[in-house]
Amino acid sequence: MSSLRYAPAILIGRVVRVLARWRKPGGGSAIPGVVVNRIAPGFLATTLNGFPLGLVIVTGSSGKSTTTKMLVGVLRAHGLAVFTNQSTANISQGLTSALLEQVTLSGRIAGDVAVLEMDEGHGAFIAGSLSPRVVSLTNVMVDQIDRFHDSEMVAGLLAKIAARATETVVLNADDRYLADLGDALESTVQVDRYGVTADVLRRYPRGLGYAQTAPTRLATGTGVQLTNIVGRDADVQFVGGNHGIRLPARGIHYAVDALTALSTAQATLGERFDPTLACTALSAMPAVFGRGEVVTVGGKTIEFVLVQNPSSFQLNVDSLEANTEQILVIIGSDVRDPSYFWPVDTSGLGHVLIASGLKAHDIALQLAYDNVQVDRIEPDVPTALDAFMALPDPATGVKTIIFSADGMRRTRAHLGLVSNAEES
Amino acid sequence: MTATSLQRPFTVVSILPRLLDTNGDAGNARVLAQRIRWSGHDARVVDVHSTADLPEHVDAVAIGSGTDAALVSARDGLRSLVEELRIWSNSGVPVLAVGTGWELLSWGIDLADGTVVEGLGLVAGHAVPRTTRATDDIMVASKYGRLVGFENHARDYVGAEASPLGRVLHGTGNGERESGPQIEGLTMGEVFCTHLHGPVLARNPTLADHLLGAAFTRHGLEYSRGPVAASVDETAQAARNLVAVRLGQPVE
Ligand SMILES: [Zn+2]
Repeated sequence: MSSLRYAPAILIGRVVRVLARWRKPGGGSAIPGVVVNRIAPGFLATTLNGFPLGLVIVTGSSGKSTTTKMLVGVLRAHGLAVFTNQSTANISQGLTSALLEQVTLSGRIAGDVAVLEMDEGHGAFIAGSLSPRVVSLTNVMVDQIDRFHDSEMVAGLLAKIAARATETVVLNADDRYLADLGDALESTVQVDRYGVTADVLRRYPRGLGYAQTAPTRLATGTGVQLTNIVGRDADVQFVGGNHGIRLPARGIHYAVDALTALSTAQATLGERFDPTLACTALSAMPAVFGRGEVVTVGGKTIEFVLVQNPSSFQLNVDSLEANTEQILVIIGSDVRDPSYFWPVDTSGLGHVLIASGLKAHDIALQLAYDNVQVDRIEPDVPTALDAFMALPDPATGVKTIIFSADGMRRTRAHLGLVSNAEES
Repeated sequence: MTATSLQRPFTVVSILPRLLDTNGDAGNARVLAQRIRWSGHDARVVDVHSTADLPEHVDAVAIGSGTDAALVSARDGLRSLVEELRIWSNSGVPVLAVGTGWELLSWGIDLADGTVVEGLGLVAGHAVPRTTRATDDIMVASKYGRLVGFENHARDYVGAEASPLGRVLHGTGNGERESGPQIEGLTMGEVFCTHLHGPVLARNPTLADHLLGAAFTRHGLEYSRGPVAASVDETAQAARNLVAVRLGQPVE
């Protein structure tokens, strides 16, 4: 459509955007969106539905952000111009504001495809007006922050979004809620499944963090499959053959995010999808700060591990290098309820040199009951960091700092590091 | 009685941990077992999902809290164990029940939509909907010292007035009352029910040690916490004091 239906709204939105920036430099980015959504409520949906290769939505309990970044990288490597959102905050207004930056007065954006990351709740809210060509589903996890959302409710929200797909629903076959969701979809839509092999799953006796694990694995050749993972290197099997990938950080969850991205890119690109090109692009992604990223500070090598919920805490404990000698754990004020991490079995940590952060005593208490030796409790994060950094390099493993988001912010500030990813 | 040890490990059962561990309350079984080990005795935790999992001897029982979506399946699971639960509570085996695990031991749960989930009827009283969810630190004065924890519940508890666990110093507990002090929890013999979720026994070792004292006494043994427990309990006290400071209560 090339009418000038939205031209007045777009112009007003642009003026408001300029005014908002005058009032608060760098801020106010959602305000023009609010204005345009009010005077031209169809603008967002019409524009997003109007890309030549359509709209791709990535949603699920966790891994959305990493998956979306990977997917965008892979699509761009194939020569596509991609419109994407930076964060899920204020999705409707935020998206409208982002679109206003690039849209022509006829309501078109130069670009081949739109890729949007959506929270399960947000998705259901705006999915009514969107017609995504591809919907990609990551998993259903029970996050304690969200513990009043039970699994059935999350699965129900995801089903609503999946029902909007016009062509393909891409889903994690190892997640029981998603596997069931796929089985229940209309036969008019294609279902692409991805997953890990039984061999890979066997190495994670506690599972991969899903609310429920599907009873069976994907049959060989029926979808993109993870066949091996060692540190940051993983093997992915496509119908056409095997490819190696390098993950942005260590951990099985990144490998599954990569599977989701590759499978979704394949569904989006169809015949144009080139697995070699896709795996090269994905492997070139920069390491993600605070999620298994290895940094060098003052000549010392440190690995950062961000734990955002019990599932990611458990997976990180389970995938830690054996005999890691120097561990610092920083749990901050963001973990309001000390029971938050109690479902996690931390015994695999073995020995923690310092417990720090506002919740230092609470995490030390849990570690003690899990038979983890804790040498020192130091709530003050700078003091703990200085003591930890001053230690000579460990004989086994690298210096490892496990932190909550608040612990990460304090660590970053104290060590003078810049983050490249703060959103989940 | 001159026994100094049990000829088998002390056995702590964790009831329905797949359904009743939303806040890590099943961890209370692991807290009891660790404190037994720290006191110099052998201990194990047995997860009980059905009668088939029941061990021959049971020395202590922990029941956690679950989601409302799992209320009926948790109730049905507990109901299949109702005879054992009755025997344990009548014979002085210490039982800790948290949140919905407690509610399901009661006469029943009134849901906001007007329906009722019938409970096991093992303890007096029943749960009724609150207008707003109670989510906060909670502090309770009790016979076992000042208890500090976290509560998160959408229902009050009515009918525990005769034998509460303690008096609320901060927080909601069993709910606001028109007269009389605000109370928290319920006790019946060695059965302890509370809204303090998650690691209540780790943070409040005096309550844990009361339960362990009861478990040991049944075998003519005397419980005394070991040196490891003493040092871990200092960490717990520091954690409790931080909450006290935040709530403007005196430190201990
Ligand atoms: Zn949510």
